[in-house]
Amino acid sequence: MYAPTAEYANVPLPEIRIMTNRLLSAETTEVVLNAIEGIKHIRQVNMQGESLPAKINSGPAKGHMNNHTERKIIHVAGREVELHCLVGAFYIEVLVEDEDGLNAVVEELKAACDKTIPFGYTIDVGRYSKYRPSLHDYRSA
Amino acid sequence: MAKYQRQFFPGESKPAQNRRRYLDPKIQLKKLRDIPMDDVVRLMGHRTPGQAYGSIHAPIEEATEPECPIRKLVVPIEGAKAGDRIRYIQFADSVYFAPISPYQRAWMYLSRYRGIDTGTLSGRQIIEVRERNLEQIAKELLDNETFDPALTGIRGATVHGHSCRLDEHGLMFDGWQRYLWDDEKKEVMYVKDQVALPLDKKIYVGQPAPMADLKERTTIFRADGYDMNDDKEVVDFYIRIHKLRTLGGYRPFDVKGE
Repeated sequence: MYAPTAEYANVPLPEIRIMTNRLLSAETTEVVLNAIEGIKHIRQVNMQGESLPAKINSGPAKGHMNNHTERKIIHVAGREVELHCLVGAFYIEVLVEDEDGLNAVVEELKAACDKTIPFGYTIDVGRYSKYRPSLHDYRSA
Repeated sequence: MAKYQRQFFPGESKPAQNRRRYLDPKIQLKKLRDIPMDDVVRLMGHRTPGQAYGSIHAPIEEATEPECPIRKLVVPIEGAKAGDRIRYIQFADSVYFAPISPYQRAWMYLSRYRGIDTGTLSGRQIIEVRERNLEQIAKELLDNETFDPALTGIRGATVHGHSCRLDEHGLMFDGWQRYLWDDEKKEVMYVKDQVALPLDKKIYVGQPAPMADLKERTTIFRADGYDMNDDKEVVDFYIRIHKLRTLGGYRPFDVKGE
């Protein structure tokens, strides 16, 4: 029988979406992640952006290394994170008890982002990714 | 009867005026930079500078042409005379106030150049022409005001980026990073040719224009720039085209008198 792997599985925890007005360089992404790293109640951070392929994937140069300067390893809280894209959005899932707790986290995130994200950003609260399996997850390959 | 006068685009807003300027072949576009011809050839990557032009047929003068009134009427362009290969250059234009957008590129190319074939896609515009003519056209297009180093990309393949947000230096996104920002010179430099083959030397294409300047130079109507709804003549023009096309498709008998 299927059993959730954790207490919060299948629960739509709130997500805070930070969309940056410009695509961030690897260096800035590292600074932003380190700035929000210490904030409590954050369960996970997902990043989204424009893909940077390791190799040229079509055309006459197919197979050549891409050597994109922003595709590299960054260091977040002592861990290595390999960036595969030019980041343009952060989806931050938070584990909070109530709306006051959520608002407090949002304020802390705003303070961190104001200091680190150049050219501005927008911040929204909602649920932007899947939190439980649906029919799509059971389809055969 | 009054002499026919060619018209280009309606409207009095800035983008409408710019469209008219770019389309009118009698207007000489401003030259903003001078990229050496050898560098233009390197950027396109079809031949090495100094290399002879490849050919796909014998020079027209040497060939025996069939008797044809059209052939007598049409003067061939230099590349066609010599039997050059057909080669291309393709530009991607950012939605963030690039000086020109692909659709107007098509209008401009067809209005200004002979012997070309052009194709419009969502964010890019290809121009195909005989090689030696292409090189001259490409240099013109890179040197004049329709090109901005940050917002126009020379991209033969994988053009993705025209509708992406700009990066921190204000450059249009390119997954293959054909061009980089030189922070010392404050200029954009190409390190790969249009299909992302590495170049032997860096090619500088100049400094991007400030956004305030681009908003005045662009042909793009945008709500945060010049809104198309503020230009009644342009809106009426498009409504009329839309109406005629719809009627033409569904009630062609109603087009009469429109």
